[in-house]
Amino acid sequence: MSEKINYTAAFEELQTIVSEIEQGEISVDELSEKVKRASQLIKLCKTKLTATEEDVTKILKELDSSSSDDED
Amino acid sequence: MPEKENERTIFSLLEVTKSIQKTLLERYKSSFWVKAEMNKLNYYKQSGHCYPELVEKQNGKIIAQIKSHFWKDDYLRVNNNFQKVLKEPLKDGIKILFLAKVSFDPEHGLALWIIDIDPSYTMGDLEREKQETINKLKEESIFNRNKLLKLPLLPQRIAIISVETSKGYADFVKVIDTNAWKYKFFHFLFPSLLQGDKAIHAILVQLKRIEKVKNHFDVVAIIRGGGGDVGLSCYNSYQLAKEIALFPIPVITGIGHATNETVTEMVSFSNAITPTKLAEYLLQKFHNFSVPVQEAEKKIIDKSRRLLTEQKVKFQSEVKLFRSVTENILATNRNEIKNSTRSLLQNAHFIFKNQKHLLHTINANIIKGMNFIYSSTKQKLKQFAITIRKDASSQISQSKLIISQLKEKLLSQSMLKFKSSKIELDNIEKNIVNMSPENVLKRGYSITLLNGKAVKNISQVSSGDTLDTTVFEGSIISIVKSTNKTSNQ
Repeated sequence: MSEKINYTAAFEELQTIVSEIEQGEISVDELSEKVKRASQLIKLCKTKLTATEEDVTKILKELDSSSSDDED
Repeated sequence: MPEKENERTIFSLLEVTKSIQKTLLERYKSSFWVKAEMNKLNYYKQSGHCYPELVEKQNGKIIAQIKSHFWKDDYLRVNNNFQKVLKEPLKDGIKILFLAKVSFDPEHGLALWIIDIDPSYTMGDLEREKQETINKLKEESIFNRNKLLKLPLLPQRIAIISVETSKGYADFVKVIDTNAWKYKFFHFLFPSLLQGDKAIHAILVQLKRIEKVKNHFDVVAIIRGGGGDVGLSCYNSYQLAKEIALFPIPVITGIGHATNETVTEMVSFSNAITPTKLAEYLLQKFHNFSVPVQEAEKKIIDKSRRLLTEQKVKFQSEVKLFRSVTENILATNRNEIKNSTRSLLQNAHFIFKNQKHLLHTINANIIKGMNFIYSSTKQKLKQFAITIRKDASSQISQSKLIISQLKEKLLSQSMLKFKSSKIELDNIEKNIVNMSPENVLKRGYSITLLNGKAVKNISQVSSGDTLDTTVFEGSIISIVKSTNKTSNQ
């Protein structure tokens, strides 16, 4: 769940940085830090696009345990 | 024939049923249209015949029912017709308007023989049911509930309700698993029937299962396809549509048909015409995320470069400006210094000249003054010398005179003094001679001594004392007989 928030937040933060840089609100002093941060965010977003951490066995286990609950 | 026994006529069951059959056939010769609810179709696969259960309900209670039979050929014809007109086969729980004849068979009893069914009547009824479902969901304010949920930016984890062997499932999985952008999806199949009345329960069961593990999923996709357009009225079921509307995560549908949208599709978060389109919908969500990220990357690189270039140009022009300004200032200052130097030199020269001149003048004045003082002093000194010499000689002669006068005066004075002193001395000498003890003694006075000391008072002497009395030209030694003190007046 927290990972989900992370990429959404990362996406929003990235949009903010882009709009800041487009509006010319970023000074040369801040630039390197902002670019560094943006590249981290881009990496995070790109990773999220091409990877998922869901585990089938875990889901099956949960399904089993809940179906046995139902039988009780 | 009936038997006779104790005046009673006894019929066999067959005789009775045959009699009923005969009566009924005579009474119900023609066919007629009947409306009823087909509670159960009761299709028998082996024979191909159906034995529908027909009922009439009032307020949910059965008020009439009858068995029926529907022979194979009639069933096939009617069923075909239904599928063509309604996109639904004949099934349990529909209202039908049918052409029938009363039939009675001694073996099977009373039944209605269904000859034909009018699909348009059923269609109206199904349509009404669908509308009722919609109205009910709207009245309960849950019609839009699923649409109001928030789909994650990346609907990446998909719970699929489908049939593993169906074409729709295969299409869907193929599109999301082999996309050109390498987007990664996670999907998990919850197998279920997808058409016909049994689909309602099957889908509900799978929705329940998904709900248990909903934290692992972003979205539920109901996918059907390749099964033709028949048997979809289950998606108008109030029970199923309600469950989907209220489902805690977004439900998307790709049921794949050409007919009117079902209620389930209407209440779902999003609906696509086919499973492929549904998969593309999900890919589009990924694009909506991916494209801005890529653009962000490009924009940030672009803008950063531009910003740096701008700053560089700005800096260079600042440097240029600074250089030219400083050069100007330097040149101005240099000129000022030159001018100042020149004017300083001129002024100094001028002042120097003036001072020199002044010094010359002063010098000349000093020499002049000195000469004047020197000559006047010399003159004065000469006069002094003369005056001194004159004064000194007159002083000396005067002094000489005074000294000789004083000499004479001193002489005469001292002589005078000497004479007077000699007279005085003579007088003193006479007195002194008169006063000497010898003279005194001569004149009759004596000196009485006691123990060598002059007796000056009677109290010094007492009787018996030896007194020594000096007189002129000798002394007397005497012993005191008595003393007598002169009485004072």
